[in-house]
Order: sequence, then structure tokens, then C-alpha cells
Amino acid sequence: MFRTVIVVCVVLLAAILASYRLAEEGPQADFRYANATGISTLDPARISHSHDIRIAINIWEGLTTYHPKTTEAVEGVARFPVDVSADGCVYTFDLRADARWSNGDPVTATDFIRGWRRVIEPGTAGDYAMFIVDRVAGAREYYAWRNQAVAVLTALHRLADGWPIDAESARALYDHAGDAFVRDVYDGLEPTEPANRSVRPARSPAGHAQDADDRWQRLADGLASSDHDWRAAHEGFFRLHAARRDARFAAVGLQALSRHRLRVTLARPCPYFLDLCAFATLVPCHASIERLREQVDATGLTSEGLVVYDPQWTKPDYRRNGYPGLITNGPYRLKVWAFKRRIRLEANPHFWGLDRLRCRTIDMVEFADLNTSIMAYEAGDVDFLIDMQVEYDHELIRMARSGARPDLHVPVAFGMYFLLFNCQSPTVKGRPNPFVDARVRKAFVSAVDKYAIVNNVLQRGDPVTGNVVPVGSIPAYPSPPGLGCDPAQARRWLTEAGYPNGEGFPPVEVLYNTDSQHEKISQVLGRTWEQELGVRVELRGKEFRTFGDDKVNRNYMIARAGWWGDYRDPTTFLELFATGNGNNDSGYSNPRFDALLDRAAGEADRARRLALLAEAEAIIVQEDLPLLPLFQHTNLMAIKPYVRGVYPNPAVTFPMRYWGIER
Amino acid sequence: MSRRLLTRLGLGMATLICVYVVTFLLVISAPGNPFEGAERNMPPEVVRALKARYSMDSELKYFFQFLWGAIRLDFGPSFQYHDWTCSQIIADALPVSAALGFLAVGLAVLVGVPVGVLSAVKPNGWFDVTSLGFVLLGISLPTFVTGSALLIVFAVWLKVAPVGGWGRIAHLPLPALTLSLPFAAYVARLTRAGMLDVLGSEFIRTALAKGLAPRTVVWKHAFKVAFLPVLSFLGPAAAQAMTGSFVVEKVFSIPGMGQHFVNGALNLNRGLVMSTVLAYATILIVFNIVVDILYTFVDPRIKEAT
Repeated sequence: MFRTVIVVCVVLLAAILASYRLAEEGPQADFRYANATGISTLDPARISHSHDIRIAINIWEGLTTYHPKTTEAVEGVARFPVDVSADGCVYTFDLRADARWSNGDPVTATDFIRGWRRVIEPGTAGDYAMFIVDRVAGAREYYAWRNQAVAVLTALHRLADGWPIDAESARALYDHAGDAFVRDVYDGLEPTEPANRSVRPARSPAGHAQDADDRWQRLADGLASSDHDWRAAHEGFFRLHAARRDARFAAVGLQALSRHRLRVTLARPCPYFLDLCAFATLVPCHASIERLREQVDATGLTSEGLVVYDPQWTKPDYRRNGYPGLITNGPYRLKVWAFKRRIRLEANPHFWGLDRLRCRTIDMVEFADLNTSIMAYEAGDVDFLIDMQVEYDHELIRMARSGARPDLHVPVAFGMYFLLFNCQSPTVKGRPNPFVDARVRKAFVSAVDKYAIVNNVLQRGDPVTGNVVPVGSIPAYPSPPGLGCDPAQARRWLTEAGYPNGEGFPPVEVLYNTDSQHEKISQVLGRTWEQELGVRVELRGKEFRTFGDDKVNRNYMIARAGWWGDYRDPTTFLELFATGNGNNDSGYSNPRFDALLDRAAGEADRARRLALLAEAEAIIVQEDLPLLPLFQHTNLMAIKPYVRGVYPNPAVTFPMRYWGIER
Repeated sequence: MSRRLLTRLGLGMATLICVYVVTFLLVISAPGNPFEGAERNMPPEVVRALKARYSMDSELKYFFQFLWGAIRLDFGPSFQYHDWTCSQIIADALPVSAALGFLAVGLAVLVGVPVGVLSAVKPNGWFDVTSLGFVLLGISLPTFVTGSALLIVFAVWLKVAPVGGWGRIAHLPLPALTLSLPFAAYVARLTRAGMLDVLGSEFIRTALAKGLAPRTVVWKHAFKVAFLPVLSFLGPAAAQAMTGSFVVEKVFSIPGMGQHFVNGALNLNRGLVMSTVLAYATILIVFNIVVDILYTFVDPRIKEAT
């Protein structure tokens, strides 16, 4: 009897719970595409994953937007032609009068300034802050000033709360707080050589300041143990900083000349600036977001000096403090965001090109497993599949290339797979780092037969490369030839560097994040180097985050790396190796290379500019080799034959306004 | 009875706190930096300010802050999914996993118990041997194999079910079946063992000697006793099934709890890991208490003892 009771109970409960979460899906969307991983964020200022960008460029619209086939910049909110000054530094954009937010408000120049300002404010700034910081006049100064203030405010806030601070924070207080008390404590410490005062602790985002100057640590301890009124110090600095902020921002080259006229002044000419304007980071932002700002007394800042918004602002149905839910200006608006399930996009009724949209609704369906998404495609549940990186993808690629599956496409991507050498640290984990010597790096590069890796290990037919900038990806760019495979020459270089037959060479560690592809490649490379150069190689696979931390802190000799270009210009790849670039994980620095990039930046003539950039690339791929280029990525995607307006392009950018279905 | 319940609840709270402390220690000792991606880098000043803002600059501060938040069911921001809080993620995923888990455990009982009883009635008969074969398969086949196989057959070939996802009733049967197979196998084995034990005892012989129908003896007298070990298995099993299986969720693209624990750990999403662990621990403790209470109904001896 009670068996029946239990069964009935279980079934009832399951039914209740199921009905609770199995809400009605609504009518099937006009177009469905599959996404492999979860959306990290839709906040344009922080966005960086390609899945997120794919949604963002369709719910927002920048000054320009992408051509569906070539991904060239075409008219977006700004009308073409854009007025560019003779020196190439001042862009005056005329915004379409009929550009509207999804609630009907007109899109104004102020909305763009609001959106772009979020990109460089500490707290909202994300991976692509450099798009503005590096290019817009005055942005770098403002960004640095704000970051310094954040460092000071964070330190003062901690001290006020009675917590100790670290050496870097103490240094920030000394340098930027303008606090006489801090200077007095510093001066009270034992004198050090003036030369030492300028020693900056090593950049260490993880917080372990290994090389921090002992003196700053003592200042930190001294400050923490003092009975100074830190709360008042914090309050004073905070008020002053908050009051000056808008005046400082006025010096940044963003001006609303009128409601529909935006002037952008660049620090230096940037021939690809209109391409950048299409990017998801540089979109406008609707004023309603200000209702969700977290701030101390209308200063616009948190007590750490950060600009923080309630992170829920990107939800279509979020209501708080009068916030009406996400408002966007793109061809589509976010209708439903069901976490880890799907996103439903719906045509923005106020979009200026509404009558040209072919799909009213588009669903992005999330699949945690790529195999499942492929099955869903085969079963006809989705129309378009972007990621197909599965164990058997080489088979699918073979079918695509042989014409057996015309719905599969294999465009060469605007992305490179390479390994980095640590060119900077004299020792790595107590071992001498031989890769500071360019001859050793060249030996390790030319010993490798890349074709063997691509043909035998990956079997995907990715194009082998010796370059940093994908060959043929930028029209008229004269790619310099890279180093080829020459084991005999490799051994000579190694001998020149003082390691004949690999004698006396310390054991080499290859760092990669655990993933079957990276592991296979590292194994083959390790074996090659052991056989050809006589060195000993250790493989070190690490979990993604730890791997990232090790790479940023240059706690490696050779590390797996890669890069996807963000805009159609060689600098999107070359800047990775510029001195002081935040993404220069190899620590490579060559004044000649930097000077060439600099000269190219000031060069107005396109052909001469590209020649200078090619000269710079030649230094990297022929002489200095801070990296071992392996191959150019290829994408594999599946598009049902009845789909229209989806073009497999290298940048994997798909403007949905062209998408359609014709059965 | 109520005193016993109170003791159990008190012990449960103590266990929960122990779980929190241990998880916390494990989480803070994990290497790596949650604010750092692998490809692009953030200015150190900002990383420090963000850490301060989210109380991650001091472990002690974080310990109490998270605990205080957890009591109010506020588990803080999720750094991996910037636009969602941990509480929202759990509130979204737990009902999904719970629905699926309940269904799976229900199926497991519905299938496992009769199979177990029938194979115990005629040990080593054809039914017993066949069911043993299926049970072994159910226990030893990993769910990603059974799940993928079911998907290929029912979704791709026969097209009678959708390929993964969540949102319609049609999405339920395949993952529920996959998830229930190992549980059903266990239930069948436990029931069989229990029944064999009981069927050999004297009160069963007496009942049969009195002339009661064998069906009544098996279901009314023997099964009641034989079900006890199954019941104690069902408590933790239900908790496990309800809090989600990473593999089943991945294969069927189900937005449940299992993936959040694994992905949270991989992405150093401290808040998410701790909140999933706390949710799992709470459910486990609650189910064990429920089983305890059910025991007193099933087995009168326990009631007498208290």
C-alpha cells in the first residue's frame, strides 16, 4: 500500500516541479542558431567573448556596422561619408535623425559619449578599454588618472577599516595621495639609495608582488600601524576626486556638437577607426542605466572610486528604481534571456531599417555539449551552427572540402595559434631561462616541422604559418616570410648560443591549458625538440585560470597562446609584442620594433604605412622570434541550405539584419 | 519524536557549518585569479579595487561576509557570468535539477522495486539472471554513453524527442531515463538482497504455513521489511539526483545545478562553488532527516525505541 503512496508522491512532486520550470516556450522563432557556451556578459564595456559579441552587435548599433560578407565598416547610426580632418585625427559624425532606441527615444551624441565613457571608467572598463584609451585624445591621461585615484581610494578605504595594505598600495599613496602624513612616514623610514625609489614593483595582477621594494612594504606597515585619521583622509580625497572628474573627462576628445553631431578627436591618425566603431564595445548607452548606478551621494562613484552599475541592467525584464529593463538601439532587442537556455531576439520596432529585416524573431539556443548541438542541427532543430570543435571535426572538414556536405563551411579564420617564449625573466622557477637569447628562440622555432603537426596531429588542414599577421587577411599588406623548418640551422643556432647538441641546456617546460588539442601539440613539439636539439622537455598542463595567471606573471618558459584579430589591420596582432602592451605576455621588447610601429602610426599613406608594419613584423618573425607561429585557425560551421544572408567570413561576424529563411 | 527531530536538526546545522568551513578553506587555497582571463589583462589597480569591493582582499572578511549573505540567501555576484548573481543562478537551476531528479528517482523505484522482488522470489531463475544482466549494465554503463545512445536513437533517428534542451515536457523523458538507470539498478539489487534475506526468515515460513497466499506474504509481509535498506538508500540518492548530474546535464544541455559546480570550480567562481555545495549539503541533510522520519512509520520498532 505505502509503496503506491510513495510512488504517487514522487510522481506528483515531479509534476509540480516540472510544471514550475517547464514554462511555455512561446511560438518557434523564425531563425534558430546554436551557441556552445554560456553568455558571460552582454555589458558592451566588458564584453570580450565572441559568443557575447555576436549578440551585442545585433542588439546595439555603433556609429558604423559590419558588411555581412567582407566585415568592412558600413553605415550604422552615423551617416556616410564621415567628415575626417586632413590630419586624420578629427572625425565628425552625423547621426541619423531616425536612429531610435527600442523605447522610441532618439539616439543622440550624448548616448555615444555615455557608452564610450563606461569603456574607460575603472569598474566598468573591460578587455577592450584599450580601443578608446590608446586612440582617443586625452583618454590615456584620464584613464591613468582615474586608475591612480582608485588605487589611492582603495588603500585609504582599507586603512580606514583597519586592514593592512600591500607595498603597491603604499607606493600609490605616496605617489598620488598628496597626503603629507604619508610622506612624513616615508621620510621617517631609513634612507635608501635614490635609485631604488624609482623601482616599481613587478606588475602582478594576482597580488603576489614578488619583487616589491622592501621599502614600500615598510611604508605599508608603518601606515597600517599609525593612528592617523584615515577615514577623514579618504573622505577628503574622495570628495576632491569626484568633484574634478567631469572637468578631467572634458579633456577627452569626445564632444557632442549638437544632438546628432558627434566629434571624436584621436590622439594619432588611425586609418581603421571606422572599423573599430562597429565593434561591440563602442556602442551607445541609454540614459536609463543611470538609475542603476551604485554610488556614494550622487558622486557617481563607489567609495573605491569605481564606476559600478547593478550588473543586472542587461536583462530585458529587470525592474528596479524605475529602471525599465534593457533598452538598446540595434536591429533587434532582447526579448527573453533564460539563463543557460536561450536568448530570444525580437525585431526592434523603432529600428530605422525595420522594414528590411527578414526575421522577426531569432533564438540563440545554448548547448552545453557540442556533440548535442551537432545532433540538434542534424535533427533540424537549429538552422545555423557556429562552433563545431569536436574530436571528429577533421572528418567533418574532409566531408566539407570534398563537397559531400555542401552545408558545412570551412572559412580560414582571422586568428592565429602560436606559442610564446618568455623573453624577459632571467630565471623561471629557479632555473635559468635560456629563451632570453634570440638565437635559442630561433633554434626552437626552426627545429619544428609545422606541417607534421597540422597534417598528422590535427588533420584539419589548418594553413601552416610563419607569421604573426594572418597571411592574405589584409588587402595589400606585404607579409614578410617567416622562418622555415631547418633542423641543421637550428642546431647551429643552439651551438652559437653556447649549447652544442643541447649540452648544458636547462630542462624546458612547456605550459599549456589542459585540452586535448593543446596537449597533443605540446607532446609533438616536446618530442621534436628532444630529438632535434638534444634538450630535455617537460610538459606542464594546467587548468585554464591557473594557466592564465602563470602566463601573465611570466612564470613559464614556453606557453601555449593564440590571438584573434579584432579589426582589419595588422596592428591588431603586432601590438601584442609592443613594449608595455598589457597583453604582451612574452615580455618581448625591441626599441626598433616599437619605433617602426610608432612611425607607421604617424604615416598617412596607406601603402607606406603597411610597408612599415611589414618591416616590423619581419623583425619578429625573422630575427627575434618571441613566438613560435604554428597555424592559422580555420572555423567549421554548418548552415542549412535554406538559410539566407549568413556568410562564413574570417572574422566570424554575422550581422543578423541580413539573416533570412527561404524554404 | 520531536526531541529526536530537534537533535537531528541541530546536528544538521552543525554539519552544514563544518561543510561551509571545509569548502571555504578549499576554495581559498585554489590557485589562480578569478579576475584574470587567459588572453587579455586588466590593470592591477582595478583588480585590487574589485577585490576590495567584493571582500576578496581579505579571506577573513570574505568568510563572514559570505556566511552573513548565505543566511539571507544572498550568495553574492558571479564573476563568471557578470550579469547574474549566484542566488539567481541557483534559484534558476535548482528547480530544474530537482524536477529531473525526482522523476529519475521515481522511475528508479517504479522499475527497481518490482524487478528486485520478482528476482528474489525465484532466485537464479531466468528472470533473476536476465535482470541481473540489465542491472549490471545499468550500474556500469556511464551516463554519457547511455545518454548519447538514447539521443541518437530517439532524437536523431526516430525523431520522437527533441535533442536536448529544457522548456517542454518532451524534454524530460530521455534525461530522466538516463539519470534513473543507475539508481534503478541499485534499487533492484538492494530490494533483491533484502527480500532474499527476509524470505528465508521464520515469520515468513509461519505465514506461508498458516496458508496465506504467496502474493500476500511477499508484498504485505516480506516487502515491508525488505524495503528498509532501499529507503535508507533513497535519501542520499534523491539528494544526489536532485542536485544535478554534470554529465547528464551536459549531454542533454539541461540548465541544472551540476554544471555550475564544475564550471564554478574551474573558473574560480568562489561564490558559485560555495553556494552549490551549501545547497547540496542542505538537501542531503534534509532528505536524511525525512528518511529518518519515514523509518519510524515503516518500522514500528524505531518508534518504540525513542
